[in-house]
Amino acid sequence: MEDKSNSTGSGADNPYAQYHVVKKGDTLSKIAQAYYGDAQLYPQIFAANRDILEDPNKIQVGQKLRIP
Amino acid sequence: MYAKRFLNLAFLAILAALVGACTNYKEPAQAAISQAETALDAMSVDAQKYLPDKYKEAQDSIDAAKALFEKNDYKGALAAAKDLPAKVTELGTEVKAAKDQAIAALTDTWNSMSGDLPKMVDAIQSRVDMLSKSKKLPKNLDQATFEAAKSGLDEMKNLLSAATQSFNSGNVEDAVAKAKAVHEKGAQVMASLGMQVPPAAAPSS
Repeated sequence: MEDKSNSTGSGADNPYAQYHVVKKGDTLSKIAQAYYGDAQLYPQIFAANRDILEDPNKIQVGQKLRIP
Repeated sequence: MYAKRFLNLAFLAILAALVGACTNYKEPAQAAISQAETALDAMSVDAQKYLPDKYKEAQDSIDAAKALFEKNDYKGALAAAKDLPAKVTELGTEVKAAKDQAIAALTDTWNSMSGDLPKMVDAIQSRVDMLSKSKKLPKNLDQATFEAAKSGLDEMKNLLSAATQSFNSGNVEDAVAKAKAVHEKGAQVMASLGMQVPPAAAPSS
């Protein structure tokens, strides 16, 4: 899966950061599987997006998640 | 007898006058050519780099004056060469200005890229770290490509370090050339990992 947008990899001021815009049916596990090949790495995505996510099981369509 | 002697003396007098006239032109012509040539040689590297057309024009003018000199046309050589030292001096001023302008532009490029490239390295490092933790690579990425990406990242770090050293030692041109190579490598690595390179982050030439 190709990243859908850019910004920071490790910070909001990084133009090379990679993002994923949440689509219908997405979960953090599915996103982790797509980007890393390993669904078990979803907590890393959750940790990178703690500023916009409170619960790893609650993501919303259209949300822009940073993919480390 | 007297007439013949008189003619000989007259011939010698005319010859001496001609030689004298030639000498009057020869030395200043030679001096002007030599002065212009020396000055142009001293700036040749920068002049050919920053103002190649004007360098060639100056070199052609010197060559033309030298050609006349070698044909013993000292008067013509002096006429061709007398303004050359001043023109070459003027060219030197223009070359310095062109060089300063080029260095300033390169410094701007370096300032921009030296702030930007570590972020590119960070973004790639972040993805490599994540993929290194993965039990299995994503379907679009095979092991060989991932290994090449990791090598590419190391190469970027080394090259960026070398670019910084070049800049710190005053070689802005080399620093920018290396920085552009880092960016190019980074774009390649990012693409191989399925990452997007933001178009706005591409270096200006």
